[in-house]
Amino acid sequence: MTSRWWLPRRAAQLSTVALIASPLFGLSLFRGNLAAADLLGIALADPLAFLQALIGGRVLVLSYLGSALLVTVCYFVLGGRSFCSWICPVGLITEMAGLRLGSGGKTMPLSASRWSLGLVLVTVALTGIPLFEVLSPIGIVSRAIAFASLLPLLVLAAILLVELSLSRRVWCRSLCPLGGFYSLLARFSPLRVGFIKERCTHCGDCLQVCPVQEVLAPPLEQGVPQVTGGDCSRCLACIDCCPAKALKIGFSNK
Amino acid sequence: MGDETPHTGMSRRQFLKGSAATPLALMLAGGGVVSVYLRPADARGFTLRPPGAIAEKRFLAACVRCGKCAQACPYQSIRMAGGEAGVGIGTPVIIPREMPCYLCQDLPCVRACPSGALDKKLEDVEKVRMGTAVIIDRESCLSIRGLRCEVCYRQCPLIDKAITLEARHNIRTGEHSILEPVVHKEKCVGCGICEKSCVLPKPVIVVQGLVEIQKDSYDF
Repeated sequence: MTSRWWLPRRAAQLSTVALIASPLFGLSLFRGNLAAADLLGIALADPLAFLQALIGGRVLVLSYLGSALLVTVCYFVLGGRSFCSWICPVGLITEMAGLRLGSGGKTMPLSASRWSLGLVLVTVALTGIPLFEVLSPIGIVSRAIAFASLLPLLVLAAILLVELSLSRRVWCRSLCPLGGFYSLLARFSPLRVGFIKERCTHCGDCLQVCPVQEVLAPPLEQGVPQVTGGDCSRCLACIDCCPAKALKIGFSNK
Repeated sequence: MGDETPHTGMSRRQFLKGSAATPLALMLAGGGVVSVYLRPADARGFTLRPPGAIAEKRFLAACVRCGKCAQACPYQSIRMAGGEAGVGIGTPVIIPREMPCYLCQDLPCVRACPSGALDKKLEDVEKVRMGTAVIIDRESCLSIRGLRCEVCYRQCPLIDKAITLEARHNIRTGEHSILEPVVHKEKCVGCGICEKSCVLPKPVIVVQGLVEIQKDSYDF
């Protein structure tokens, strides 16, 4: 253990859950959920939810566009998929379930999440049904916390079942359209995991903990100085576990 | 047509198997879910939405299901629909018989909506049009039967505008009046307070959609 990134990350994930639950305890610092929220008076909005409302509902509210852009810019700087590792409650649940209960051996290609994003956008354009707002386990979990709407949690149960028996982290890695959206954004993010080739001992610990080995493996094999794939979720588990301090996080314009 | 493709590089079959089969299978599965699970919410009747809700089909897309309107409602009249609502899962609904809309002057639900699913241009509560009250069972209505009930009339926040009492002679007894509550659609906001207040176990006055649905002779 050379660093403890997992600690602030877990704290951020748990804070998100606490914030979603906070209105139940009469607190007024947070309202809404990850689709749209007010945090300390600042309006935040999920850009994919905004797109679906815009395309399907043909409604454009400028303040809503502003909050969606604010969130987009923040995630762009931090690396789009950092949402998945640091904020998303479904990520927290499936990650914990994987750690505690193990998981299926198969992996599905990461690119499927972009197909999934395409499906959502095409569906809302053709039918007006905001597919992801309807089926989103993120919304389902948030409403289960804030409104005790428990029955739709069956969707989450189905995801966990498939992940535990068949395919590791399949929802977050390959199916979530929001993950697909943020992975496109993350390709161009300045904050990246860097790799110092000279220090690497090729022990392979980082690949063991990485939820998306496909993006970590190429730099290690080819000696590229940073992870460029958009599917890197900036969980930083690789940095935490590297005994040789060969991995680091930092801004880069390369 | 019947010729064998020479196996140089990646064949079409390999390509389909390797790159396209999985996403296509996913899209098919997605389509299956769409067609079976996602029925339009209003296929099973009218859903009462919070004040300012835009037309139902657009509302279903514009609502991002964040729940802020429900959190802003001081009476907890606004509930979040569950899976039974199909496409409408997670959208706000009002079930008047449980808790109607009490028409807050400042419309906190409308102001809380970020996405425009509840129209922010709505500022005057009397211009709210969530639906309209209809007396669906005149034979059971106590007032129409000649009793002095009139609870819906007295509870209506737009008393003497949205519901008025029309007096007429009671032919059955020959010596009394019938004071019939009459809903005026052009004034009724559809808040559901009358439906909540109806003293009968099954309310005879209920909020329905604004647009009259044409029924054929097979409909009851």
